Amino acid sequence: MDESIRNQESLQSQIGEKDGIGEKLLRMCRQNKLAAFSAVLILVIILMAILAPVIAPYGEAEQDLLNRLQGPSAEHLLGTDELGRDVFTRLLYGARVSLTIGILPSLISLAVGVIAGLLAGYVGGAVDYIIMRLADIMLSIPSLLLAMVVTYTMGTSTVTLFVALSMAGWASVARVVRSQTLSLKESEYIQAAQSIGVSKLVIMLRHILPNCLPSLIVLFTLNIPSAILSESSLSFLGIGVQMPQASWGLMVNQAKEFLFTAPLLFLSPCLAIMIVVLAFNFLGDGLRDVLDPYMNNQ
Amino acid sequence: MVLLIFLMLRIIPGDAVSGLLGDHVSQNTIDRLTAAMGLDKPMWQQFVSYIGNLFKGDLGISYTYGLSVSDMIMEAFPYTVKLTAMAIVFAWAFGLLAGIISAIYYQNKLLDRLFMGLSLMGLSMPVFMTSMFLQYLLAFKLGWFSLVSDGSWPTMILPAIALGWNSAGSIARMTRSSLVEVMQADYIDTAKAKGLRYRAVIVGHGLKNAMLPVITMMALQLSSMLSGAVITESIFAIPGIGRLATTAITNRDMPVLQGTVIFTTIIVIAGNLLADLLYSVLDPRIRKGQ
Amino acid sequence: MKKLLSLLLCAAMVLTLLAGCSSSSSDTSSDATETEETETTTETEATEAEETADVSSDALQVAWSADIETLDVHQTTDDYQIPLNVYDRLFEIQLNDDGSTSLVNSVAESYTVSDDALTYEFTLRDDVYFSDGTQLTAYDVAFSLIRLLALDTSVQTDFAACILGADELIAAEGYSYDDTCEGIVVTDDTHLTITLAYAFAGFLYELATPAGCIYSQAAVEAAGDSFGTDYTYAIGSGPYVITSWTRDSGMTLSYNEYYWGETPDFTEVNIQIIPDSSTLSMMFQNGEIDILDCDFLDSAVVSATYKTDAYEGKLVTANRLGTSYLALNENDEYLSDVSVRKAIQMAIDRESILAAIFDNDGSIPDGIYPEGLIGYTEDNQGWLEYDPEAAEQLLIDAGYTKDADGYYFAMEIANDNDNSTSRVNVIQVIAEELQAIGINCTITNYDHATWLDLRNSGEMTAYVSTWTADYNDPDNFIYTFFGTEANTAQRSLNYYNTEVMARVVAARAIVDDDERLAEYAALEYQIVAEDAAWVPLYSSSHLFVLSDRIESFVPHWAGYSDFCFATITRAE
Repeated sequence: MDESIRNQESLQSQIGEKDGIGEKLLRMCRQNKLAAFSAVLILVIILMAILAPVIAPYGEAEQDLLNRLQGPSAEHLLGTDELGRDVFTRLLYGARVSLTIGILPSLISLAVGVIAGLLAGYVGGAVDYIIMRLADIMLSIPSLLLAMVVTYTMGTSTVTLFVALSMAGWASVARVVRSQTLSLKESEYIQAAQSIGVSKLVIMLRHILPNCLPSLIVLFTLNIPSAILSESSLSFLGIGVQMPQASWGLMVNQAKEFLFTAPLLFLSPCLAIMIVVLAFNFLGDGLRDVLDPYMNNQ
Repeated sequence: MVLLIFLMLRIIPGDAVSGLLGDHVSQNTIDRLTAAMGLDKPMWQQFVSYIGNLFKGDLGISYTYGLSVSDMIMEAFPYTVKLTAMAIVFAWAFGLLAGIISAIYYQNKLLDRLFMGLSLMGLSMPVFMTSMFLQYLLAFKLGWFSLVSDGSWPTMILPAIALGWNSAGSIARMTRSSLVEVMQADYIDTAKAKGLRYRAVIVGHGLKNAMLPVITMMALQLSSMLSGAVITESIFAIPGIGRLATTAITNRDMPVLQGTVIFTTIIVIAGNLLADLLYSVLDPRIRKGQ
Repeated sequence: MKKLLSLLLCAAMVLTLLAGCSSSSSDTSSDATETEETETTTETEATEAEETADVSSDALQVAWSADIETLDVHQTTDDYQIPLNVYDRLFEIQLNDDGSTSLVNSVAESYTVSDDALTYEFTLRDDVYFSDGTQLTAYDVAFSLIRLLALDTSVQTDFAACILGADELIAAEGYSYDDTCEGIVVTDDTHLTITLAYAFAGFLYELATPAGCIYSQAAVEAAGDSFGTDYTYAIGSGPYVITSWTRDSGMTLSYNEYYWGETPDFTEVNIQIIPDSSTLSMMFQNGEIDILDCDFLDSAVVSATYKTDAYEGKLVTANRLGTSYLALNENDEYLSDVSVRKAIQMAIDRESILAAIFDNDGSIPDGIYPEGLIGYTEDNQGWLEYDPEAAEQLLIDAGYTKDADGYYFAMEIANDNDNSTSRVNVIQVIAEELQAIGINCTITNYDHATWLDLRNSGEMTAYVSTWTADYNDPDNFIYTFFGTEANTAQRSLNYYNTEVMARVVAARAIVDDDERLAEYAALEYQIVAEDAAWVPLYSSSHLFVLSDRIESFVPHWAGYSDFCFATITRAE
């Protein structure tokens, strides 16, 4: 992409700053019903996850061996699993784990990526070279294999999962931040700030970072569903979330054996994953449309 | 890259040797095997000899099987290549077709929605779910395909579809949106005004321009496709690279895990280079720029 | 710069590794050498395809969830299936109709034992040939036993450790094909004498275990380091020869034309590796495999799918001589307290576990020995009842008090990620039941190798596992777990009662059978009921479903292998 065009665009977006992020969000809600609905859905699910101990009819690991693999009933809305645990309850608690796994590593990779990207873009030179080669490598290692390497080293645990998913995510964030930093660095008002002796740190944090924010919000939103999907794949290989904790991915994997005998047990976490992943994707697309004209054009 | 993976696999506190031997082993045996595997040398020495061997095509010896890792990878690689190649072909064929059809029949809500619905399913389902779903429906219930693959082309179709569906979904969406956008551009109107047929316009002009972002995305997806192959290979019992990696995890077979990760990463880098080449062939602006 | 780096890496890759990548993703720039390599690969592929095609639809179709690691029984404690079908042993253990077992001659035609029970003279059959046509001689028997003891990486030395001179061989560094053992003397091609260091009644049974497989000395020497990994050197005198092996994919066996015994019904066997259990079940229902091992499936699936009219008479139940247990580490601060261990014994509802997780296929012994094992006695049954209130009372009486979260103390059960789903379920149930009496029981997961490592180190707090008899004798159970300090540490039990351990060792040498079994019963009671060093869980049956092509299939009596292909008969 031509640098000058990009500069013009970023200048335009600076000029057009009258429209705050909040107002843009409102505009999205009006224009894009799907994204608005997704946002509401996500909020509801997050709320249900937080309130799980209050809403859930049973305890997270409460077993009833005599009533295993039951169909839906008044006592068990979605039936019971292979140890007689209430599937609806497990879904609620699973939402906590799955959403945490979606959001926390995305936040970590966001933070790491922002720091790396700012450094690479603003400091440049050898720092830039090293950080970006590292990012290239990270983007080239298939994420599942990367997670397997981390598991080999750290053993299977939720922490491992966070590390593996964060390692996979920061590189793309760093790339975006770097390219935006590079273009902003040349812009007049940053050069003006430099000329009056504002420190580098302040420039990076006060002036460059806020301008990256829209793209970052979009990236963040789109990172979450891919982290949730990765977790479920890792659970399939037995190196994801570990029982007796419940995550949606783990629930699908434990239920896959009962595809014939208790299909609902398999389908309900499946649907939960699909709905949340789609909702985040729609929301991300919607956000991109209003917040980030540059990414959209590309 | 090699250094990074090398280091990552070596910060482990425990040692691989005792894990491999199991019961009834004396400390003497452990020490001797450690020496035989060269694990008692300082790490930089191990690394230097590893790099040296790497360029000779030697990735070390598997702890569990006692076989050369390169041989094991070479034995498994053709299966993964077949699988991924077919998945890519499927992803492109289905993705482009669905994208074009959706774009042409933009107004036709039914077709558009059908294809976009299928694409969304691909996007939102983890690979193992797609695989199990397809395996159950098409192979078990309908009997159209075989349940597991013996490595021959026909038995690879189902695993390839399962693996490629996710990419097909994003390609379809990407193609559709860029086509819809391109078709609103002026030059399409010009072409139409020149009397070219509507579909010819789309294929000839619109598609060519819409391909560029799709190609970029494809290269990025090679990496996620190789990730997905790990899963598909396990479900459809294909003895490829992914299976090597999974068993290496269970056996704590570090040389094998290291070898597979380094190997697949090299493949991804190669794929990205290939995409760059393709890109410059398709986009004259870049060609001139270089 | 970045591209230069990538190109460099790519060049390395193309030259060395990318030989097989011909079909699709490779670019047009492949040079002559690469094409050559590609051709070779295609050739091998073609031969492989032919081999697969050669396996007639007549072949017995079997599927396992994971491939074996080695064909060398001296270096594995798991992968016995193939060696048992490829090699012969001096004796076999046969399962009788009444559930008891007896020793039958195999390669050994006859033997005599001296009065002091120390010297065994064996006469071998003279019509046993290896699959390469050479005769199996007493020299091969001696060679195999010496390799079992002397090979530094041998993990099976226990099975011949009673032979005179064995200890020196085990201790000695290095192994050469010319090693000799003081207690093993070959007279001629069909005669050999083995002298023991001490009298041991189980010796002949030990020779019948997989560790007693007889290798061809010539083949082992020819193979060198690749013995066990290169299937072409797996030359035995058993009913089958390996004809192909693609790792993680499968193996084909065909009948050994030199085999001295009866010709089996299935002269070809095709083994597939299917890691996913749902795939396995679907394949069986499609008629693609002949024997389905239900251990891979949940009992609810088995009962809904296979305990139905459609599979009437197709279900085979094998009562293995095995028992599952919960091991508690007595080095743990709390688990060292006998009342805590007794409370745990009482807190587990074994009947519900058996009913819910194993659909009542099995039994719940109260001791170490499972039903059917020599030494199992009704006298030691029926004393252990599920009683969570009494269990918690035991904790209170022992002076434990609840903390703020309502727990007396915390403990951790280690789960092996390779565990079957049913065992994982059992562990989760146990954890929940211990929670119910106020023990904060959590589950930690380890991959298989790490799990084994931790357990062998003696530092694992608690785990659930199964022990299956190698030979039908209580010694195989009690000595393994409570025989020596090293043994109990290796199982992470760290049993403290040295007096009992001394009695376990002494019991091996008791000559009078009644006296010996009485002592084993007393030891069992002491360890389980008095010391509560063993938490008995259940002894589950092993179910198999057969396809219409199979007339009869008798699972192997011991846990180490289920498949003796030669004994499987075809339905007409």
